[in-house]
Amino acid sequence: MSQLDASSSASLSAHISGATLGFAGRALFDGLDMTLEAGRWTCLLGPTGVGKTSLLRLFAGLAAADGNRVVTCGDGEPIAGRVAYMAQQDLLMPWLTVIENVVIGSRLRGARPAYERARELLDSVGLADRADDYPRVLSGGMRQRTALIRTLMEDRPIVLMDEPFSALDAITRLRLQSLAAELLRGRTVLLVTHDPLEALRLGDRIHVMAGSPARLDEAMTPAGATPRDPADRALLVLQAELLARLAAADGGEG
Amino acid sequence: MIRLFLAALLFSLWPLTTAVAGEKFVVLLDWFTNPDHAPLYVAQGLGYFTDAGLDVELIAPADPNDPPKLVAAGQADIAISYQPQLHVQVAEGLPLVRVGTLVATPLNSLVVMADGPIQSIADLKGKTVGFSVGGFEDALLRAMLARYGLTLDDITLVNVNFSLSPALITGRVDAVIGAFRNFELNQMDIVGKPGRAFYVEEEGVPVYDELIFIAHRDRLDDPRLRAFIDAIEAATLYLVNHPDAAWKLFIEGRAELDDDLNRRAWRDTLPRFALRPAAYDAARYERFAEFLKDQGLIEEALPAEAYGVELR
Amino acid sequence: MSLLRPLIVCAGLVGLWQLLVWWSGVPPYLLPGPGLVIAAWFTHAGLIAGHALVTIAEILIGLALGTALGAASALCLAYFRTVRPWLMPLLVISQAIPVFALAPLLVLWFGYGMASKVAMAVLIIFFPVTASFFDGLRRTDPGWLDLGRTMNGTALTILRRIRLPAALPAFASGLRVATAVAPIGAVVGEWVGSSAGLGYLMLHANGRMQIDLMFAALLTLSLFAVALYFTIDAGLRRALRWQADT
Repeated sequence: MSQLDASSSASLSAHISGATLGFAGRALFDGLDMTLEAGRWTCLLGPTGVGKTSLLRLFAGLAAADGNRVVTCGDGEPIAGRVAYMAQQDLLMPWLTVIENVVIGSRLRGARPAYERARELLDSVGLADRADDYPRVLSGGMRQRTALIRTLMEDRPIVLMDEPFSALDAITRLRLQSLAAELLRGRTVLLVTHDPLEALRLGDRIHVMAGSPARLDEAMTPAGATPRDPADRALLVLQAELLARLAAADGGEG
Repeated sequence: MIRLFLAALLFSLWPLTTAVAGEKFVVLLDWFTNPDHAPLYVAQGLGYFTDAGLDVELIAPADPNDPPKLVAAGQADIAISYQPQLHVQVAEGLPLVRVGTLVATPLNSLVVMADGPIQSIADLKGKTVGFSVGGFEDALLRAMLARYGLTLDDITLVNVNFSLSPALITGRVDAVIGAFRNFELNQMDIVGKPGRAFYVEEEGVPVYDELIFIAHRDRLDDPRLRAFIDAIEAATLYLVNHPDAAWKLFIEGRAELDDDLNRRAWRDTLPRFALRPAAYDAARYERFAEFLKDQGLIEEALPAEAYGVELR
Repeated sequence: MSLLRPLIVCAGLVGLWQLLVWWSGVPPYLLPGPGLVIAAWFTHAGLIAGHALVTIAEILIGLALGTALGAASALCLAYFRTVRPWLMPLLVISQAIPVFALAPLLVLWFGYGMASKVAMAVLIIFFPVTASFFDGLRRTDPGWLDLGRTMNGTALTILRRIRLPAALPAFASGLRVATAVAPIGAVVGEWVGSSAGLGYLMLHANGRMQIDLMFAALLTLSLFAVALYFTIDAGLRRALRWQADT
């Protein structure tokens, strides 16, 4: 299976400090610090509405923290233009074929699309024969796979994913988790998820976000290479602990 | 579009459905109420209709092309129409016939700006002439132009759809045909832009009756028709004898007509009403039919009985 | 595209028309039967064709101009929020005022030539096109816009690659309405003041009691309007072939 070699783009860390964001009159977070370790998967869990998506959007440059705090990267440069974004909806544009969707980034930047590479990538996930189909004829799993390829096509050092697999059935979800782990290996990834098992399968550092204003707890750092085997006993123990932390987070403020 | 047309027709028929069912004698005017209709309103005001046992209903149409069709279709008893159009309607097979005359002179004229460059018909060469849809302006113009060696190709005809004075005053057209000398001329005078008129009968068109009463050919034995015409005759005489009192009857209950324009039009129309509305000048109608045939508007010039009768 | 079914529908309508004429006994100078109208059509084919070309030109130019104007206005409304309170009332007024009231004014300002008829058509279709296109632009899925921004799309490329295609279905609805009503604008303009065109011909024929000719002109207009609609509709469906038909 070919994958984009991460060594071509050096791993990059990303950091925001003292982030403050208000929403509907209350503070979502106040003076929050967060670091995404270079080349590692950071997972973020927490109760609904705590601000996980808002934090991710800060990293993505889609939202601005109060006081114009900027997200900086390990090399000191701002993060702008160095992220690839993947949301819960596949965000495939229905008027474009699969392959056109994959190369949409180049088009938006006014650059010539690399169709060859796009077809290679699609082939690597088994979608080569769907390249000229419109999204409406694909299944949910195929569509999210396409979105994954699009993300890969962007070839960015930092990848931000907001519950990308939560709309899929359990088996497809497991498959896509494994796929994502393989394809995005070596990149700096922030994954927001509801699913503790997903976080444990994919995350190098797992935070639970809780409270109002929200705070990050100490990271859980499971051992072993990703994607981890869901049947692994050690994983199940960690899952129990994670669930406990989540319950505390929810019950405390809810 | 057909729907619009049918709806408009049905809408104008609406009041008539009740009228025909009852004893109402339905009279369709040619246009909105104006001094051309003086004898009718005088007769109504003096009770001449009721004296004659007639329950007259006067209806003004929105489209002057409708009344002849409605009379032909049996939806009205009598309508005010135009002699020239009658010839064309008869040629198209409508079962209409003239049973009386309202205005015994032409009113149609070619009007230009008084301070404009057009001093004679010959000056129309290369100019634009506006008309409303009477359906026979070409015939009039062709005859008028021919006397000066011009043809219709020497002018540009534009349909201005009854907006004659504004078109002329704003200079959108150089002349208009179909303007009534008792109306449009006064209209232009009032706004300070007087016009100069060329009367069609002085420019090569045979004399004709501008406004006539028409009825259905198969209903001529209806005694109410002659009774109606008699009432009109009496009212016309009253008009001649007592013009001021007649004016008061005209505007009674129609205060919106008491304005400068109508007063001037009244004065100019008075001498033109037929003093013998029932009388039928057969030779005059035949002569005009010949004229229309020469102008190519009708195929055949029929004998006088085809166009009008003198009711007994 | 199968022409058989529309033809059958047309034949049915013609049959109904003839039945109506027979059953109601309406005289030909009020409603001529299809036979008379078709005979008039052939007799005056040259005359009708000449006037038809004028009206067709008015309709097509009016449609093109009105669509362009509407699209531009929609883009203004979408991108310049400050313009909205000024432009929106104008939009609504253009729709609310009956064209019959405006037509004489337009004829006075633009003259009796094609310009006033084109202006009428533009006025009639301005609102449907603008409103629907603006609606489409307004409702761009924010997810796509987020994606575009993270991909470093410029405002122009985002407009071209995301907002415009996303707004196309809404625009298409407006365009369909515009195509259906543009002929009305042209003909009303002709009724008020003209020297050529099918509307002019209809009035003229009506004045001369040539009702069969009037209906023949009307028929020609209707045929063109229908043909225009189906052509534009086919074009739109092709442009929107990526859409699912639910």
